[in-house]
Amino acid sequence: MHELSIVKDIFSTLEEHYQTKINDIQKVQITAGLLSNVQPILIQNAFDAFIHDNEVYNDMDLEVVVNDIIAHCDNCDKDFKVEFHRFVCSCGTPSTNIVQGNELFISKVIFKQS
Amino acid sequence: MSNPKSLGNRVGSLECDNTTLHLLKANDFVAKAIRERLKDVCVINVCSSPGSGKTTLMQETGKRLASKLNMAVLVGDPETERDAIRMREAGVNALQIVTGGMCHIEAQMILQALDHINLEGVDVLFIENVGNLLCPSAFDLGEDYRVTLLATTEGDDKPKKYPRMFLTSELMLVSKSDLLPYVPFSVDAVTQDAREVNPNIEVQTISTLNGEGIDVWCEWIEEKVKLKKEKAALAE
Repeated sequence: MHELSIVKDIFSTLEEHYQTKINDIQKVQITAGLLSNVQPILIQNAFDAFIHDNEVYNDMDLEVVVNDIIAHCDNCDKDFKVEFHRFVCSCGTPSTNIVQGNELFISKVIFKQS
Repeated sequence: MSNPKSLGNRVGSLECDNTTLHLLKANDFVAKAIRERLKDVCVINVCSSPGSGKTTLMQETGKRLASKLNMAVLVGDPETERDAIRMREAGVNALQIVTGGMCHIEAQMILQALDHINLEGVDVLFIENVGNLLCPSAFDLGEDYRVTLLATTEGDDKPKKYPRMFLTSELMLVSKSDLLPYVPFSVDAVTQDAREVNPNIEVQTISTLNGEGIDVWCEWIEEKVKLKKEKAALAE
């Protein structure tokens, strides 16, 4: 699906943020919420295909961290984990207030030892 | 399979940057530009699986609303201009967006298309997304409302399988309701499933074949157009 767009976006974001230092990156970690529709294995494959075609990035590694879906219950005034896509608190109150799970971002960058 | 990128041979300390660099933010930036530009046009993003009746609904809606509202449609498909041709034959102001194999429409494609469609006096702009319940859910197209069609032939278990789509939709249209006597599909069950994902989602049943629910759907559109115009007038 759009894994390759995401991988391209990872590199354009890194280029923009780190500029030439991007060549020293050893590993990049992205964090993806379960609602972001990102499949770690597919992103990994798209990433491997991308670095294969772009020699300067040949040595870079990717790690994908997957976040659970967390919603906030207004009735209990606390957060609860959404399981089996049931956006309903254990007290029975439904919630669309998603605290975590939509996100998709670069969370960590590790540089080669200089 | 051996991994040539193995970290095993590296020694010493590493510089580590804990950061938050959001991805796909370019799309959100363009979506914002679309909202700025279409201040008094109500934009409705219509999503569904392929074959659930989006194009037919657009044709029927065009006919019903012709005397009341001025509508336009941007229709996305991986290939061919078929849908836009179908809609233009039905008298609807439609422009095709060929995504070139892509599984969703991105905001950039909408922004570019706005220069090629006549929006003079248009009250409501529909974006008929690529038939796919997954990827389009992640891309804001600058719409005011997202409407998801779910045909009775698709099964009533879809909302939880594709939660983000139903979570981000204001309205679920259960289409092809004329087939309800012949298919194992429960409107109550699909409504419950959808509301467990999104308690605020509105549900309407509709059939373009026998006309059931079309009036309710058209009234919904008219109300949303009115709301958008009121909002635009307030901002001036």
